[in-house]
Amino acid sequence: MQRVVVIGAGVAGLVAAIRLARGGARVALLTKGTGGLQLSQGTVDILGYSPDRVERPLDALAGFAGSHPGHPYAQLDAAEVGAAADYLKELVGPGLLVGDPAVNLQLPTAVGAVRPTALASPSMTAGACVDGAKFVIVGLSRLKDFYPELVAQNLNRTELPGGGRLSARGVTIDVVAREGEVDSSGLTFARALDDSGYRRRFAQAVKAVVEPGETVGLPAVLGLDDHGAWAELAELIGAEVFEIPLPPPSVPGMRLNRTLTQLAKDAGVRYVPGSRVGGFSASGGRVDSVQLGVAGGPRDFRADAFLLATGGFESGSLHADSYHQVHEIVFDLPLRVPEGALVHGDYWGEAQPLFTVGVETDERMRVRTPRGDVVYDNVYAAGGILAGATRWQEKSGEGIALASAVKAADAILAAAESTTSQGVAS
Amino acid sequence: MNDASHGLEFAQTQVARASLDHCVKCTICETHCPVSAVTPKFTGPKFVGPQAERFRHGESVDHSLDYCSSCGACTLNCPQGVQIAELNSQARAVMKADHMPLRDRLVSSTTLMGTLMTPVAPLANAALSIKPLRTVVEKVIGIHRDAPMPKANTQTITGWLKKRKKPATPASRGTVVFFHGCAGGYFEVETSKKSIEVLEHLGYEVLVPRQGCCGLAQQSNGLFDQASDKVLKLCDELRAAGKDLTIVSASGSCTGMLKHEAHEIMGVDDDRLKDVGTRIRDIMEFLLELYEEGDLPTDFAEVPLTTVYHAPCQLKSQGMGQPALEILKLIPGVEAVESGATCCGIAGTYGLKAEKYDVAQAVGKPLFDKVRDVNPEFALCDTETCRWQMRKGTGATVEHPIFVVHQAYGLS
Repeated sequence: MQRVVVIGAGVAGLVAAIRLARGGARVALLTKGTGGLQLSQGTVDILGYSPDRVERPLDALAGFAGSHPGHPYAQLDAAEVGAAADYLKELVGPGLLVGDPAVNLQLPTAVGAVRPTALASPSMTAGACVDGAKFVIVGLSRLKDFYPELVAQNLNRTELPGGGRLSARGVTIDVVAREGEVDSSGLTFARALDDSGYRRRFAQAVKAVVEPGETVGLPAVLGLDDHGAWAELAELIGAEVFEIPLPPPSVPGMRLNRTLTQLAKDAGVRYVPGSRVGGFSASGGRVDSVQLGVAGGPRDFRADAFLLATGGFESGSLHADSYHQVHEIVFDLPLRVPEGALVHGDYWGEAQPLFTVGVETDERMRVRTPRGDVVYDNVYAAGGILAGATRWQEKSGEGIALASAVKAADAILAAAESTTSQGVAS
Repeated sequence: MNDASHGLEFAQTQVARASLDHCVKCTICETHCPVSAVTPKFTGPKFVGPQAERFRHGESVDHSLDYCSSCGACTLNCPQGVQIAELNSQARAVMKADHMPLRDRLVSSTTLMGTLMTPVAPLANAALSIKPLRTVVEKVIGIHRDAPMPKANTQTITGWLKKRKKPATPASRGTVVFFHGCAGGYFEVETSKKSIEVLEHLGYEVLVPRQGCCGLAQQSNGLFDQASDKVLKLCDELRAAGKDLTIVSASGSCTGMLKHEAHEIMGVDDDRLKDVGTRIRDIMEFLLELYEEGDLPTDFAEVPLTTVYHAPCQLKSQGMGQPALEILKLIPGVEAVESGATCCGIAGTYGLKAEKYDVAQAVGKPLFDKVRDVNPEFALCDTETCRWQMRKGTGATVEHPIFVVHQAYGLS
């Protein structure tokens, strides 16, 4: 059986691991810790700004790739990106993701900005910022990460992307999440809201402040394990309800991360958290094994293919020394590094060049040198480690991660198929 | 502290602190903490760890630190490599140094308990089940009256080894050393027997040197000096069995003490520890390594069994995944359902303590519920104290996964 090691358990690593395991590979997923998906907003960005706000991301991709030749999207076409987003949607089901990858939703953030994103939790879509919408934003006095007045006032002063305005007002209620605690995290509220008795009390308190015709915006804490909690709350309140994502711990991100991690395990993936890959051995242009630094010393993980899904600079996958020399920490792969200074001093200015540093890949997602030579025959890359994107400004992170992960997984499975059909290996 | 010992000095000044600057405040550790999930008494690993540590100068600024159970879920899941659990264990040891409760000294003396209880096993078992007596113990010492206690055995592993017949399979694969730990020597003797028999069935000669305690319970209670002495003495004993031999153990958490905790938490920097720590394998890890090399016979007989498998926190914290799950997948008929629980609550001696008993039970509740849902009669778990906690919490028979392997090889 084909053996694959996936390094990194963000959305790219998880989705690739599931696809590989379901495709018949024996997969080990090695990850230093919990992946970045948990920190995400529980939505799927494909392309939000180019640099202007994007309404139809898949339509915009071709033009975007044309004007950004070194961008990951230059190698991932709209059909691949759309199919990969749909793949994730099917994996987690309509209880966690809805929407059309071709059309961006415009949803409010926790500071009352209007954010474009393609797929979202069904608990968020009633918050679509359209002309004439009437919101009441309800905050919780014991939750310090959400300020309803700030959200409402910023939404009120915003000319909406589709034209027109909405009206919003903020109100704060006091519901105890846990006895003996005046400062509860969003996660504590979410765990409490998994309980149907608590949900009823919570809904009563919200209902008391809602006026007829208002849609209710709440912090995204409406249940952790019970993915239907928000819908039951809406019914109890008697109004449409939407969640607004918070800073971490992001409950919608946790729901996605937990669901995908479980799907990976169910597919037979060996999930190994808590240790760093600290070395590897290669021969004949191929990597034979990586060494995982578990407690008590390094252990070899041999495989036929290795997928690097370690994320970008912010995940620690790249290391910059004091001379601004940047290194990839697992295989010390050649990187594409922009000319000139990697960091400029203008904090609010142009994107920092450092964040576009990453690896290049061939059409099968195998890592290649900036000159175009494949580095190792069986080392693939996906997600944030790919060079050329400024994901958080473009709002392109999940789209790149998903499309590259699916493409890499399929290329790995296809490579096994071709060696098997040649009778070289089994 | 003027008379700070080596271990405490290390705890105040050393390595784990350096990792706190890697904290990006992402809160991933907080979402994995089983204690702060069930009680507001513990403010969570990030708060008492990388945040409070910046304000510590001898005195601890947040005494809720004592509610950390040292399960290690924070360190295991930190994507930035911050040694949160290690920081907290060290800070707690420093915090408790000048007023160490007698209770904490007692519960961490594991070999003493075993030595005293084995000769009088029926008596000891009876005494531990007498309610009024346990109530007095709770009032005087602070060990909760309902806390799980080990069941004393009439025979120790040493007693069994002396009396048993020679193994049937010739030793064709070489020699390994077996480390049984205190619990595996005195209380969970059956686990040790079955482990030795499986190793011998595979063709290993198994040496079981005279061995003491690893000191883990003292370490987790902040008694670093005593624990450091114990762990080095144990290293000497295990090394005496032979150079370069693989050491195999069925005591998941004691193995973790030797692999990394003694070094990383207490700063024991000694070649003997390094030698033992790099040679030791958890028994299921050992079997999985054999399997990955194509050296594990998989002629397993069918074992019709659907069961929860719970990987203890201190096994998971070794960063090797859950080897037992991979081995159980190879046995026909076995459906091992991962518990999904971070910790059973006991965390060594944490759940025995009167003031923490309720917290420990609340931590264990999702696990107990899972056992009741999947198979209320039987469950699997790799470490001894966790099995006691699970047996007490569910009424189920809870055994080490080696029991299933033993049966699948036709040895029982």
